[in-house]
Amino acid sequence: MNIPDSLRYSKDHEWVRVEGGVARIGITDHAQDALGDIVFVDLPKVGAAVSGGQSFGEIESTKSVSEIYAPVAGTVSAVNEALESSPDLLNKDPYGEGWICEVTGFDAAALDALLDAAGYRALIGG
Amino acid sequence: MVPFGGWEMPLAYASGTVAEHLACRREAVIFDVSHLGTVRVEGSGAKDRLQAALTNDLDKIGPGRAQYTHLLGDDGSVLDDIIVWWVSDKRFDVMPNASNTDNVVAAIGGKDVTATRAVFAVQGPRAKELLAAYSPALAAVGRFRVTEVELDGVTCVAAGTGYTGEPGLEVAVPVEHAARVWESIVATGITPAGLGARDTLRLEAGLPLHGHELGAGITPLQASLGWVVAWNKPSFRGKDALVAERDAGPARELRGILCDSRRPPRDGCDVLIDGRRVGAVSSGNFSPVLECGIALAFLEPELDVGTAVSIDVRGTMINGRVVQPPFVTTSRA
Repeated sequence: MNIPDSLRYSKDHEWVRVEGGVARIGITDHAQDALGDIVFVDLPKVGAAVSGGQSFGEIESTKSVSEIYAPVAGTVSAVNEALESSPDLLNKDPYGEGWICEVTGFDAAALDALLDAAGYRALIGG
Repeated sequence: MVPFGGWEMPLAYASGTVAEHLACRREAVIFDVSHLGTVRVEGSGAKDRLQAALTNDLDKIGPGRAQYTHLLGDDGSVLDDIIVWWVSDKRFDVMPNASNTDNVVAAIGGKDVTATRAVFAVQGPRAKELLAAYSPALAAVGRFRVTEVELDGVTCVAAGTGYTGEPGLEVAVPVEHAARVWESIVATGITPAGLGARDTLRLEAGLPLHGHELGAGITPLQASLGWVVAWNKPSFRGKDALVAERDAGPARELRGILCDSRRPPRDGCDVLIDGRRVGAVSSGNFSPVLECGIALAFLEPELDVGTAVSIDVRGTMINGRVVQPPFVTTSRA
């Protein structure tokens, strides 16, 4: 499983990349592999407030539906509209073109509660 | 791997469900369907026993042919849907669903030989062309024909049947030779496919799955499968209940719903018109060919094809319209 050292991770299998006050969020390689072929992503709305640990969207694969949980609280500032027609980007490139949304106004201290790559690797037994 | 009716089944191989699905529509795939039961019914009374139990009429076919049929309960419920392989004059290999083999043995007798063989389904527009490089005899099996073929010196039974809407065949191989035959077929360029693709393919082809479109409380008429019932046979189990339903008209009928969205409808979702419930989804998923959500649903029988409906997917309304399955035009000859 690919677990980049540069990212932070939630126990719900999301990753977070922080750059210039913006937290970009996606799901991990482990998560996309477990979900199977992803065919639909229910994205949050730009401007929506999200609460840490709360569901803000759904991912549908050919076998099941799963919720997406916000790793940090904040306001959605951008969503990856490419996922509307190409949700399989989550399978093909979960840390790159398959990003889900960006959040601003989050509490930097909340990031400390997330796992680093080693902690996430231990969580998934990899 | 996932548990399925007492079997460990691959949900998908490395390429994934959508790629396997498209490989079946465009090229060819192979499924391990050993979980289907095989009940061998033999002897001079075999045909009469099947005729008395099952809805379809074996007098429409003969030895060397296959037939799709139903086993009903006394109330007309479809206890199982079954393919009968009429292998030779007095030998029938009856193939129920994984979990229903005991029910079928109780109804028609015979011997459960499931553990002695593996069954592979090879399906797709190029299935026979590719198989010909391995076994011309196997590739030559015609649609709904049943015949013994020699594969690597071993006698196997092949039938021109399957459950994807594509041309192809199914072959029963003695279990000790199964791995070798599987590898030989895969070596011809045929893609292994799992349970996930098997389900999306049968859904796109509008084919019912026991436990969803068939089962307790669901009759062949409700499942829009009246053609499986040979009304002119003097009797079969469940006939009286079914005749009464035919005369009164079924209270619901199975239809397709083609959605505007990619979001997959799921089993159990309500179907609505202007907020009024008119039915429920029995199976739903994403169609890899059409790239939108599709569903089979039991609806009020008076709804015409083309009627606009919405499906309540966990609180989100998905718009769609009623269609007559199959959802895709398949290449089955």
